Amino acid sequence: MGIRKVAETVFDRTKLSLQGVCSVFSRPKYAIFGIFCIFLIAYILNFWRDGNGNWQLICSGLPLGDKLGVLGRVFTSMIEFFRSFSGLSIAFLALLQGIVITQLVFTWRYREKNATLNGASTGGIGAILGFIALGCPSCGVGLLAPLLSAIAGAGALAMAETIGKIFTLLAFALLIFTVFRLGYIDYVLASANSRKEKHAKSN
Amino acid sequence: MQKVIRITALVAVIGLLAGLVIYNALNPPAPDTGVWNEAMTKGNAETAKHHFIMYTDIFCPYCDKFSNAVAANLEDFEKTYIEGKNILFEIRVTDVNYENGHSKNSRPAGIAAYCAAKQNNFWDYYYALLEKMFDDYFSKGVGVDPYSKHIPDLPDSYFLDIAKGVKLDQDSFKQCFENKETAKELDKNTAKAQKNIGGAVPHFSFDKFSYDGFAGNWDTTNDYKQVKTLMNAGLSTK
Repeated sequence: MGIRKVAETVFDRTKLSLQGVCSVFSRPKYAIFGIFCIFLIAYILNFWRDGNGNWQLICSGLPLGDKLGVLGRVFTSMIEFFRSFSGLSIAFLALLQGIVITQLVFTWRYREKNATLNGASTGGIGAILGFIALGCPSCGVGLLAPLLSAIAGAGALAMAETIGKIFTLLAFALLIFTVFRLGYIDYVLASANSRKEKHAKSN
Repeated sequence: MQKVIRITALVAVIGLLAGLVIYNALNPPAPDTGVWNEAMTKGNAETAKHHFIMYTDIFCPYCDKFSNAVAANLEDFEKTYIEGKNILFEIRVTDVNYENGHSKNSRPAGIAAYCAAKQNNFWDYYYALLEKMFDDYFSKGVGVDPYSKHIPDLPDSYFLDIAKGVKLDQDSFKQCFENKETAKELDKNTAKAQKNIGGAVPHFSFDKFSYDGFAGNWDTTNDYKQVKTLMNAGLSTK
């Protein structure tokens, strides 16, 4: 197959994948679920972005009101933080993860019996990588730091930032790949479903 | 057969990782409660009921955010916490950001801080340096996170000029700084800090409470409120 032919196939497939994503999010139920997922993931990522500081405050002896204040502060700081570049990368990660989860639910709901969810595991790996690669601008390292120190002791921490950046790039690549892969499946499922509905109506 | 090999390899890798996690969990670094440098403390070491330790690097923007918030409310902080709650407040200066390759400036800043401590005037020099760094860089969004514009490598004169505005014996300070007389102390303390807390600064250790990082936004409005939350969390954790 020539390069042109391959490029055309990739282009067509990408177009159909995007149509698949749009067909999922054009359904109000899935759009609301997707937005909820994006916000929830953004909140969770933001909660952990300063290392485990917020968790330590929640586990401390602070009164309940102050602990609720910590949770509230994470929300307000999230809006402020998303203006920075590292904030934007977290927002983009949350967006991709939210889309993938919504696509997974859609695919699971409309898939044919016995069909496997190709690509779902790739998205899962991407989501995990994205989460552990979270950068921590306020303490120099990220969630990777406690993981690395637990596995290899404190000496491995110098590598945390570099590994974190590699993980972030991998996470983005895997999540984008998953969005396109599931998007194509969703396009097929949505088309089949609309044909079924039309057929049922005509009968 | 291939499946058996795959499962065995997977189990071996998971087992190895789990073993290392258990080993590291069972061998935590011993608590390091002794004062590292008396000039870098506030409060009465002999009568204090609580010990607050902050591991820092002067070129760690969020460490400075904490210290600037304290400096801006120093009177209240000392009255409410250091005197009011009888706290020994200690700052452990390291150059982990130099060791980790984040900032070359961390090293001269650390050496200068220990030179000021040698003359028992760490606090004035430290706060003067932080104020200048905030005005010159952090307030302009420079050096505030890994994605922002980096602070350039600063000349020695940057650290020496700050000393001129502080009550220090200028000649001794210059000699100490230029001959790197405190480099050994800085290296020793950085090595100890890396063993205790890894590479993450700021790290706060307050009796049984510990905390990493400091409020993520580069907005100083709520910084002192966050300092107080941290102090109260330490005081209320049994």
